[in-house]
Order: sequence, then C-alpha cells, then structure tokens
Amino acid sequence: MKKIPCASARNVFRSSALSAAVASALLLSYSGIASSATMTVKGVVAGSYFMPPVNSDNPSSAHASSTMASVYQSVKVCVDLNDNAACDSGEPFVMTKSDGSFLLASKTSGPLAAEISTASTNGGHVVTQRNVFRVAADQIAAVTTSPLVPANIAVTPLSTEAVRMMEDGEGNFYTVRQNLASRLGVTTDQVLSDPNTIADPVAKSAVLEESVILTNRFGFAAKMADRGDVASVPAAQQTAMNIEGIPRYDNIFIIMLENKATSSIKGSVYAPKINGWLNAGNQFVSYFATGNPSEPNYTALGGADDFGITDDNQWNCGATGANALQDLVIPTNSVPGLGSSPFTNPCNQATNHNIVGKSNLFNALTSNGMTWRTYSESMNPGQDFRTDSVGDPGVYALDNVYPPGTLGNNASQIGNPALQLPLPASLYKTKHHPGMAYQNVRSAVEFSTSNRTLGGGQWDAVLLSSTKYTPPANYNIDQFSSDLQSGDVGHLNFLVPDQCDDMHGITLQGKVNGVGSNVTASDCTGSANITRGDNYTDNVIKKIQASPLWNNPNKRVAIVIMFDEGTATAGFNSCCGWNSDKASTPVVVNPLKQNPDGSFSPDTSIVGYQSGNRGHGESVFGVLTNQPNAPKGIVDSDYYSHFSFVRTLQDMFGLSDPAAPGSYMNRSKYTESFIAANILNLPEFQGSADTHFDSVRPMNHAYVFPAGTTHKQSTDVTGSPQVGPDATQTNLWSLK
Amino acid sequence: MCRILLRAPRSSPLMNILMVLGLLGGAAFDANALSPTAQVGKMLFFDTSLSASGKMSCATCHDPAHHYAPANSLAVQLGGPNLNQPGTRAVPSLNYKDYTPPYADLADNPDGVSAPGPGGGFTQDGRAPTLAAQTQIPLLSFNEMANAGMADVVNKIQNASYAGLFQQIFGSTVFGDVPTAFASAQAALQAYQLEDTSFHPYTSKFDLYDSNKIGGDLTASEARGLAVFMDPNRGNCFACHYSGAGANGSVALFTDFSYEAIGVPRNTTDIPANRLVNGLPVSFDMGICSRPDHPRPASAQYCGMFKTPTLRNVATRSVFFHNGQIKSLKDALRFYNTRDTNPELWYPTVNGVVQKFNDLPAMYRNNIDTQVPLDGRAAGSQPPMSDQDLADLEAFLNTLTDGYQPPQ
Repeated sequence: MKKIPCASARNVFRSSALSAAVASALLLSYSGIASSATMTVKGVVAGSYFMPPVNSDNPSSAHASSTMASVYQSVKVCVDLNDNAACDSGEPFVMTKSDGSFLLASKTSGPLAAEISTASTNGGHVVTQRNVFRVAADQIAAVTTSPLVPANIAVTPLSTEAVRMMEDGEGNFYTVRQNLASRLGVTTDQVLSDPNTIADPVAKSAVLEESVILTNRFGFAAKMADRGDVASVPAAQQTAMNIEGIPRYDNIFIIMLENKATSSIKGSVYAPKINGWLNAGNQFVSYFATGNPSEPNYTALGGADDFGITDDNQWNCGATGANALQDLVIPTNSVPGLGSSPFTNPCNQATNHNIVGKSNLFNALTSNGMTWRTYSESMNPGQDFRTDSVGDPGVYALDNVYPPGTLGNNASQIGNPALQLPLPASLYKTKHHPGMAYQNVRSAVEFSTSNRTLGGGQWDAVLLSSTKYTPPANYNIDQFSSDLQSGDVGHLNFLVPDQCDDMHGITLQGKVNGVGSNVTASDCTGSANITRGDNYTDNVIKKIQASPLWNNPNKRVAIVIMFDEGTATAGFNSCCGWNSDKASTPVVVNPLKQNPDGSFSPDTSIVGYQSGNRGHGESVFGVLTNQPNAPKGIVDSDYYSHFSFVRTLQDMFGLSDPAAPGSYMNRSKYTESFIAANILNLPEFQGSADTHFDSVRPMNHAYVFPAGTTHKQSTDVTGSPQVGPDATQTNLWSLK
Repeated sequence: MCRILLRAPRSSPLMNILMVLGLLGGAAFDANALSPTAQVGKMLFFDTSLSASGKMSCATCHDPAHHYAPANSLAVQLGGPNLNQPGTRAVPSLNYKDYTPPYADLADNPDGVSAPGPGGGFTQDGRAPTLAAQTQIPLLSFNEMANAGMADVVNKIQNASYAGLFQQIFGSTVFGDVPTAFASAQAALQAYQLEDTSFHPYTSKFDLYDSNKIGGDLTASEARGLAVFMDPNRGNCFACHYSGAGANGSVALFTDFSYEAIGVPRNTTDIPANRLVNGLPVSFDMGICSRPDHPRPASAQYCGMFKTPTLRNVATRSVFFHNGQIKSLKDALRFYNTRDTNPELWYPTVNGVVQKFNDLPAMYRNNIDTQVPLDGRAAGSQPPMSDQDLADLEAFLNTLTDGYQPPQ
C-alpha cells in the first residue's frame, strides 16, 4: 500500500508532482485498474448542508443545529487520471446539474474528482469554501457490472474519506469501506451512498454527522492546498486529519480530578491504580495548571482563559453591564421546583464571573456539527445544573470500608460499616464545570441535554429518595453508562466526579447506626481520599474500556486522566501562555482582541484580568487510547498547560486553522511566534528567559530539548529535573 | 543556565526582539497613575503636620527608601509629642499588604491544604481588619503620632495645603463631620498603598527567577537556600512563609497570614512595658490574646501568637520579630535553628536555669508551634540546619529584595 507519513507528506507530494508519470503509474498499479478500460459513471455529488445552532435564552430565536442531506450543483466532476484531486486539462469532465447528477464517460478509467467551487451550490446554498470530493477507482469498479452500463456512484465526503484512508495505508478499497462503515455503525452500502437515499434514519443520521465533519476537514484541506501550505490536495487531506500533528479522534473522555501535585500521585501507595494506568498508557510529565483555585482552571479548560477569575464564586458574581446575565431563568429558590436551590442572586463583586461573547470549546464544537457532554456525579435529581447540589439529612449512605491492604497498605480495616453518612451538600459544584462561566454555553440550546449524570457515587442508591427536589420522570442516575452502551456520548466528554470521588474532599460526617456523636467518614479527606479517587477513576476507565465504543477499533477514542491544579509552593507556577506578572498595579496585562484588519490590540474591558492565569503547579496527565497499534508507555516532557490542551482539542476536532492565530480561542493562540509578533501588547511575556517555556503549543511532542538543557519544574515534582531530550519523540496521541 | 532552551538559535530575531523589549518593557508599561483619592492619600502619608510633634508622618517609620520599614536599627521607634516615647512593637514594613484578608480565628490557609486557623488582619496581632482601619492606630497612639483624637487629625487636614483637593474628592462638606472626614482620610491612605506600585513592586531577583525572566538564574548557593527553605526537615520556612499561589491571584507573598507562637525572647531593654521589676515581668505582650476582642481566658489558645510577616525585603531589615529583640537576619535564622538545641544562646539563665520562653507565661506554652525547625527537639541535639544551610538560606532570602538589577 502507498502510505503517506504525514510529517513528510509535503515532500512526498512535491516529488510526485515533479514526476507525475511515475506517481500515476504507481497509483494506477495499486488501484488495480487497467488504464485502457473505458468507463461510464452516472452519479451524483452529494453530502450534507449544516446549519449551526443559534444560541439564545429567548426561545423564539434559539434553535438547534440541523443537518440536511444535500446535493451539490455546478460542480466539476472529472476522471482524475493522475489522481491529484484536481481536474486537469485533458481529463474528461462534466458539470453537475441542478439535481446534483452527472453522467461522465471516459475512454480511460480512473478515480473521480469533484471540484466544488464558490460558484457551486450545496442544497441551494452558495458554497463559501472550495472543496474537493473524490471517489476511488476501485469504488467504481466495485459497482461496474458491464462497460456498457453506467456505474452508479455518489461522490460524497465519505467516498473521499475512503480514498484518504487508502492513501494513508489503511487497506484496500474493500477494507477501508468496511472500516468506515464499522466506524459509523452502518452497512457498506449505506456508507458510500447518497445520504438522500438512505432510508434508515439512524444510519442516515450517522452518515450525515460524519459528512458534516468531513466536509469541514476536506474544505480545510483545500484551503491549505490553495494557500500552498501543503503541496497537493491529497496531501492536504491527510494533513487535515492531523492538524498540528494532532490526529483526529472521534471521542475523548477527560476524567477531571482535583488538587494534587505530581508528587502526590506519582508512585503514591494511595494511588496504585492511577499509577498503573499512567504506566500502561502515555504521560505528559510537565503539565501545568493555569489558575488557582478550581474555577479559573475549569474555565480555562473550557476556553483557554480564566478572564481574571481567581476564586470559586458563582457564575453570576460581578455580572453587570455588558456582562449582565442573559439566562432567561435565574435558578434561585424562588423558581417553581427549585425551592431547595442554594443559588443567590445578585452577587456583588468587582471581577466578572459571567463570560459573555468569548469563544469556547463547547460552542465551537456545536458550530461544527459535533457534540459535547459533561457527565457530573451526585447532582440532586431535579436540581438545576447551574446550581451546586444540596445536602439532605433525610437520606444516608454507609461509610466506605477498606479491608487490610486496600488503602495505602493499611494493616487493619479502615472505615466503619455502621457509620451512616447523610447526603452532604456540594458534592456537585458548578465551579467544576468547564462551560459554566460562559454565558453562551449556559444559553446554548443543547445545554440542558448535554449536562448528564455520572454514576458510581456513594449516595446513588438514595438520591432519588431525597425530597429536596422532585426528580423528573425516568431519571437516570447514571446516564453515562447508558450512553456508553448506546453510543450517545459526545465527541468531547468531561467526566466530573463529585467532591469526594475527585480527591477534592469535603467535611463528611455521620453517626454510627445513626446515633451518638459525629464521626468523620473514612475516605473524603486526606490520603484516604486519594485512594477513593483512585478507585473511582479506575472504575470509570474500566467502564469506558468495556463499552462497544472503545472496542470498535474503527472509532478513535481517548481517555485523559488529569487534575485541575497542583499545589506548588514555590517556583514555577505555570507555563505556556501563563501570566507571570505578579503585580496588582498598574494594570498592564490584558487579553487581546482581533481588529477588522486582522491585527490584535489589548481588550481593556475585563476588570481584574491582571490577576488571572497565574497558575498553580504541576500534576500528572495520562492518555489512554483504544487503538491497538498506538504507541504505549511513552513520555513527553515538553511544557504544556491547560491552554496547550485546549489548543490540542481544537486541533483534534478540526476547529481552528494553524495559519490563522485568531482562529485559536483566547490564550491558546499564544504560540512563540504569536507572542513575538504581539510582544508590545503582551507585557507578561517581556524579558522572557525562555520563550519556549512561556508559549503555547499543541501537545504533539514536536519540540526536542537540546542536549544539556535542564528542564524547568515546579516544586510539585520531586527529584532532579531532566536534562536533555526525551528518550523518544513519539507523539502521545499517535494512532499507530 | 536555562535561558537558551529555544528551538530557534540563540541569535534568532525572535530572541533578540524579546530580549530587547524585555529590557525596555518597564518603561513602556509605566501606567502607574494614581487615582485622585490615592493622590490625596500620598499627601497624607508624607504629611508631618499630622502628628503632635509636627515632625512625624507615616513615612517617618515606613520609609519608602527602606521598603516602607524604618531607616534606623531601633527595636522600636520613638514617637509622641516630643519624639521620646518608645513604641509598643517593632515597626512592620508596609510592603505587600494588598492581599492581606481581614483577621479570622478560622481563616482558610492560602495554601489550600492546611487546616483553617487564625490568620489575616493588620498589625502584628491582626486587630485592624483593613489597611484603612490600621491607620487609626499610629495616628492616635500616644507613643506614635499622638494626635489627640479624630477631630485633631481632621483639623490638621483642613489646614493642610491639600484640603481643597480633599474636599473635591470627598465633598465640600466633608470637614463638617469628623467621623466621615477621618474615614475619608483612612480610605485615601489605603488607596495610596493599594495603588502605588512601590508598595508591592515585585522587582526582586526571585521574581525574575520564578517569572522566567532574564537575569533570574539563581546562584548555586541561592538555589540550595531555596531548597533549604522548602525542605520540611530543614528550614521548612514555606510552611508559614508560603510562596505559592494564594487567594485572589496572589503569588509568592512569602506569608500565609497565619499566626504562630514561637517564643521570641523578651526584649527587656527597648520596650518600657517589658522591663523587669524586681527581676520579674509585670506584663506580657501576647499577640492575639492581648487584643481587646480576644480576652483571656476565652482566647487563651491564641496567647503568644503573632502574625507571620512577608519575607520580601527581609534582608534589608535590622530588627526582627514583634519586639525587635533579634537584630540581624543571621541571628533570626540562628534563632530558628538553635532555639531548642541551644536555648541558652537566646534566653537568660537565672540561677543556672535557662528561662526558655521567658516572654510567655507557662500556662500558655502549649500554644508554642511545634513544626520544624522549631520542633521542640532536645537541648544539645543536632540543629535542623547546618552552617552551610544557614548561609545558603540567607543567600536565598537576599534574592527577595526589591529593586534588583541583573548584572549587564
């Protein structure tokens, strides 16, 4: 098979362009089509037309995203004899009609290319980004019964993906068609057919969802090729699946844990299972938080900035003027059904906690036809997602009991099986929701259906018995497990355990057999809390790994184990887009806004911004993937932060364009070159002793530490700092 | 040594741009314009007429040329109408007070880990909740600025050159109401201290180091000193002089605002109230439990506890602890290291018996902190830090002095 390693794709395609004859000979020989055969194709250029959601708290103007099966008009379809994804002069071509159809006859058979231009329309809508769809010669051969009968072919994003997969060395046409069908859970007939003709609604929906994603990816490929970033469209179509070296994944599950330095987890007898997973998978070992305490870190994970938030206060705090709440209903206890809500309004504070009009992962995903979920544990059934959970002395769970040898090598049992622990307040906290601070996320049409429950909690069995709220009908305490079975998870999934299971810890007390004085629970504080989180994390990972999704190798699925922040007590608090300026006055640190001419200038409208993004040390960061051939047991010691991770996720889901810094949200655009270009407006980076340390990059392991250089580390990491490059430069996200 | 971790060659244009701009950066962003309120605060701060002596302003003891600490090496400063009354306690610096929260018996520790305990507040016992409230103490104390009362202070402001500006800001009738006018002056003094960068400049070598700036490479001795500072078994300094990320975006304040009783020896020479009568103490300064709102016996558990000061600019001080009994940084470090192993170095010996903890009545000595290096180890045992450790630690503490200029 012809395999195009992405890192060298540019060179491969440059040389093939220089020796087109050799290249086409290779291509034709591998596709197994004799060039002398005649070919007639009667087909359609088809795909999807996507309308992004309109987010508003006004029900009359809000609507969800929608996708329609579509056909493309005025598209140039040709026999792409040299397989360069362009209709060159001399290659037989036709234009599609108003119904997207075409009839193309050629004396010479070959693959098809469909050049969708800005003169084309898609479902009647003007196309804004040029695109190229393709069909493998083998796909045509597979449906050709006789040279005299035209082959029925749909030129679609998915037929293009099949070609790309073949060129990526994933197998012959029949293999990649099967793999693509398996990825989507549809038949091999359905996967390459005109989506307009798929009768089964589930299959049609799956094909359309993939079609939207691929249309965006291949449109970006055409853009890169047209700009000259990549030498050809075929090469660009590979690059578009590997933006900044980050492969496309279908689903990622991010397990959020709380407040532990690397040194508190790595090698800890209290966290044997997480250590096992870290060692079995891949690890980023210089991963820095960007804020302190929780809320700024989660907010940064949602959109690569904390906007000056330096506390855990409610999302309505300081929300005045341009930042005034747009939520149609403020979830206070005066709202019918929310009598137990702990939410207070208003909340007076100088620093605004309601981020209005800023980009974030959630809106970016849904605007590009993808989905997100936050799965949160131990919410009160019937509560509003925008409020913290409340306690209920009326229901209780029993203390967790640890037999000898199950908690830090304990010699005797820890925990009291007769200790009754009433449901405590604040197991679920909005400060731990990466989208909560963003008005456009709370206002999103999918907000209420994308916040779901995560099971496995100590009080799961009694949550429905609580009288604090009225549980909705058919309330599912563990939607996550159901979604893993049905496949209805998001592309991006934040898994947020409650404050006992995430190692945060709260005051948790009860009475033995319900009487006597208060006794503290075994495992919601101190070192025992680490073991509790260790067990919970292990259970979640095993649950994911037992799912049909994980076990479908044609789905690319990753699990991340991470912490919101460390505990660094001295030295480097953060890196990679951080704010190293400690001063409170004069105010000089501001976010940047992009001007109509493309330049950037300070946005001085954010009160308190100066105090944000200062970081809080280092924590472990593990990556597991379901790809059997993916590298394992490797370590990337380059510097990354939450901003780097958000940049990585933008690459992973094809949300941004590396050639356009402004397409990366907020501080995730602060690469070394961007900072250099805007240094006058970024005083926090002036006088840098190490510009690599200070700047953002995707987590792609591209940087090689020069020999002899001593790595910077915080006091959250014990032991001597590494000197020189890593043992391997393999990308931890690699699929193979 | 770490500054060349660059993909680009050292002489790359990018690096040059960053380096050059780094050297010029301060001037480019000097936007330290004070609000009108803070401008009045500045005038109040330097106004010697706001004292009975007519010679003492805030800046007399809180000298901006000495990081807002005294310029001399007196254990306590002299004040009062004739500038001959010794102060009650050593004068603290006014540096880095902008993040200090009000006092609470159960304050959250900014390290996010330690259990809540007494913390926050101004003065060494926390009795003033804000910088503004704190100003009343020196303005009205008999042995400091010694004004007769709020009306006296307000009257002097009314006769000051900036009285018109004061009225512009706080209202033309502000002098008609003494409490309002006094509170306005307090607010102005606070605004000045919060707004003027010189009160919290973050221009030490350590700041260059932990902000990843050019010139911040620690020497071998300084780096070892940082390790001693952070080592729970040697200096363990960071346990109270917390240098990590704290509340409201604060970073590296070198205090967690907490209170500890560490048994500083009694200063019987410099502080009149501490003088012995017939060889015996008459009264004790016991920190929190000497406050009117924390009377004994209800607050007995707080007796002997004083606030942890920031260590920023500590190397420029010449008196240490609440009573100024220790007169050099070297000795302060030695006290921590040998209070328990060699108490005779620090406390008087009477009839052959070392009077350890001689400034805290025996009934309150259970309050004495027991963390390393003051872990109560036996006299004659090995101190937690070696002489080399002490030298290195001192070198590190010298990196906390503001106004550092890297060698060119």
